[in-house]
Amino acid sequence: MVGEEAITMIDPAGLKAIGAGLAVGLAGVGSGIAEKDIGAAAVGAMTEREEMFGKGLIMTVIPETIVIFGLVVALLIS
Amino acid sequence: MLKPKSMTRAVIVGHKEVMDETVETLHDINIFHIEEYNEEDSTFKIGKPFENAGDVSKKLVQLRSISSFLGIKPKEVPKQDTKVLWAELDEKLALLESELDKKTEEKNSYETRLKELDSLQKELEPFVSIPIDLKNYRGYENVSVFTGTVKGDISSDISAITNDYELEFDPDRLTIALFVRKDNEEIVAEMLADNEFREIRVPNMEGTPSEIIANVESERNTIKEKISSLEKSISDIKERYSDFILASDEILSIESQKSEAPLRIATSEHTFVIDGWVPSDEYNKLTRKLESSTNGRVFVSKQEVVEEEEEVPVKYDNPKVTKPFEAIMNLYARPKYKEIDPTVLIFVFFPLFYGMILGDIGYALILLGLALGIKKMVNSDAIKPLMNVLIYCQISTLIFGILYGEFLGFPLASLHTEHGIEAGLIAGFETINLFASPIGGEMVTFPIHRTHLSMTLIVLTVLIGIAHINFGYILGFINMRRMHGFKHAMLEKGSWLVVEVGIALIVLGYLKYINIAIGILVFLIGFVMLVKGEGIKGPIELPSLLSNSLSYTRLIAVGLSSIYIASTVNLIAFEMIWPQGGIAAVFAIFVFIFGHTLNTALSIIAPGLHALRLQYVEFFTKFYEGGGKEYSPFGYIRKYTEE
Repeated sequence: MVGEEAITMIDPAGLKAIGAGLAVGLAGVGSGIAEKDIGAAAVGAMTEREEMFGKGLIMTVIPETIVIFGLVVALLIS
Repeated sequence: MLKPKSMTRAVIVGHKEVMDETVETLHDINIFHIEEYNEEDSTFKIGKPFENAGDVSKKLVQLRSISSFLGIKPKEVPKQDTKVLWAELDEKLALLESELDKKTEEKNSYETRLKELDSLQKELEPFVSIPIDLKNYRGYENVSVFTGTVKGDISSDISAITNDYELEFDPDRLTIALFVRKDNEEIVAEMLADNEFREIRVPNMEGTPSEIIANVESERNTIKEKISSLEKSISDIKERYSDFILASDEILSIESQKSEAPLRIATSEHTFVIDGWVPSDEYNKLTRKLESSTNGRVFVSKQEVVEEEEEVPVKYDNPKVTKPFEAIMNLYARPKYKEIDPTVLIFVFFPLFYGMILGDIGYALILLGLALGIKKMVNSDAIKPLMNVLIYCQISTLIFGILYGEFLGFPLASLHTEHGIEAGLIAGFETINLFASPIGGEMVTFPIHRTHLSMTLIVLTVLIGIAHINFGYILGFINMRRMHGFKHAMLEKGSWLVVEVGIALIVLGYLKYINIAIGILVFLIGFVMLVKGEGIKGPIELPSLLSNSLSYTRLIAVGLSSIYIASTVNLIAFEMIWPQGGIAAVFAIFVFIFGHTLNTALSIIAPGLHALRLQYVEFFTKFYEGGGKEYSPFGYIRKYTEE
C-alpha cells in the first residue's frame, strides 16, 4: 500500500539460534579437518602394528575438544 | 597400590650339570623374569639348547600344522595328566597324522576326478543334441569330418558345393558335425571359414554324448557323497582329537620353552649364569626352591639395583578390584618402575567421569545387562577386563542417573519452569528446589535437570577440571622428586602451581579484594621458575592451562548432546508419530527402539572416549611418562594339563 513500508523484524531468538548453530557447525568442521589427518595416520600405523589401535584412537579424538568448545559456546548463547 | 611391585635383581650361578634342574625349577615356579644375555665383548657364551629341543620343536610344528588344518579353537576342557600325555604322545601323533593323511589324500583324489568330470562335460556339451556315437567321428580314409560352431544354418551353402555330404546341426548351440568326401575338403573348409567356423575337437571316447553326460552326472553324485562322508570323518577326527591336540600343544610348548632357555643364559665351559628379576617378596621362595631341587649346588645372590641405569621389569601391584583398569593403562603405556602407577586413580576417575557424562538410569541398565551377558558368554582374556571396566562405569552411570533423574532421555520428575510444567515420567514425583545457584540465575534442584542447569554445570565442570589437573601436577611433583630430587620437582611441576596461585591472586586483585601487585609478583616468580624448569617450552605451554581446564566442560556438553539425541527420539516417536494411532503406533515403537539402540551404541563410545581422553591427555600429561618394561616371568600358565 502507498505510504507504508514493509518492516522486516529480526527475531533475536532466531539470531541466537543461528549463532549457536554456526558455533557447533563450524567447530565441527574444524575438528573434522584436524581429525582427518590424524585419523589417516592412525589407520596407517594400525595396519603396520595392530596394537596401535588404542593410541591411534586417542590421538584421533584429541581435536574433539574444538567441537566441545563449539558446543559449550552454543549452550552459552541459547 | 600406586607403585609397581618391588623387584629384586637376582643372579643364579651354578655348574652346568645342574642347569637342567635349575631351568626346570624356574619354569615351574613361574616368578623369575630372565634378563636376556647379550654376548658382546664377554668371555661368556650364549648357552646351547638342550638336546631334545630339535625333536620337541619338530613335533610342535607337526602338531600345529594339523591343528591349523583342522581349525581347532581354544576351549574349556578337563585337564589332562602330563605323564599319560607324554607316554602316548608319539604314538597318538603318528596315528593322527597317518589317519588324517589317508583321508585328505583320498579326498584330494576325488576332488581331482571331479574336476576331470567337469571338464569332460564342458567338452561334450556342444554335441549333446547330436545323436552320433563319438567313435564314429574318427578313423575314415576318404571322409573328412568337421566339428565346431558356425554362425547359422549352412545346409544351402554346402549343397551348392556337393550333394555327397552328411550334416548334423544343432540350431540352439549352432554346433555342426559335417561329413564330406576328402576330395572336397578344401572347398568346404573355405566355405566354412566364410560362415565363421570355429573347430571344437570331439573327445576320444565311445558312446553318444548324451549317454556319456548322464554317466558323468551319476558318477559326480557318488563322488560328492564320498567327499562329504570323508569330510564328516575328518570332522570326527577333529572332535576326537581336539582335547589331545590342545593338551599336547601345551606340554610341547612348555617343553620347547624349557629346552630353548639356555639361549637366554650366559655359559662358560663348566658354569652357567642366569641374570634376572624376581618380585622382592618372592626372593626367598626362589632361593629355597632352587636349593632343594639342586641340593644346594646353585648359588643365588641379590644384586644392588643401580639407579636409573637398569630397565627394571614392571609388575602391577594393585588391589583386585582395580585390575581391569590395568588394560586401560597398557593401552597408553605401562608405568616405569620408579613412577607412580595411576591404575587406582583411573579406577576412581574414569567411571566417575563416564557416569557424569552419561548419567541415565535406562542406558545404565541396558549396558549393564549387555556387559554382564558378554562377560558370561565370551570366554576371552582380552574382552573380560574391558567388560569389567564397562560394568564399573555403568554402576557410576546408575548413581548419576538417579542424581539426574533421567531414564532414556525422559526426565523422571516433573519440573516447574517459566514456560509451565514439564511432566516427568513418574507421576507425582516433583522436583525439589534446593538453593539458587550463583551463576546464571539458575536453581539447583533434586533431581538435577542438566538441561536447565547448564551454566552452573559448565562452571562446575571447569572447577572439577582445575582440581583434576592440579592433582596431576602434585603427582608430577612427587614423581619428579622421587626421580630427580626436590629442586627439579619444584621448578618443573611446582612452578605450575605457583603460576596458578599467581593467576588466582591477580583475579582477586582485579576484583579489588587485594592489591593486584601481589598477584603479579607471584605470577612472575612462577613464570621464572617455569622457564628455569622447562625452558622455552614452559611459557609456550602456559595457555594449555586454560584449554585443558575448559576441556572438562565436555563432562556436561557430551552428556547434554546424549540427552538431546534421546529426547529427540522420544519426541519423534511419541509426540509426532504415536498420536496418529493404528499402524503408526507400531512405527513409533520401531523408531523408539531403533533410535535408542543407536544412542546406546553412542553411549559406550562417546562418554568412554571422552572420559578416557580426559585421563590420557589432560591428566597423564601432568605427571606420567610410562614406557616401563613388561614383567614376564619364565614359565607357563597351564590351561589344559596338570602334573
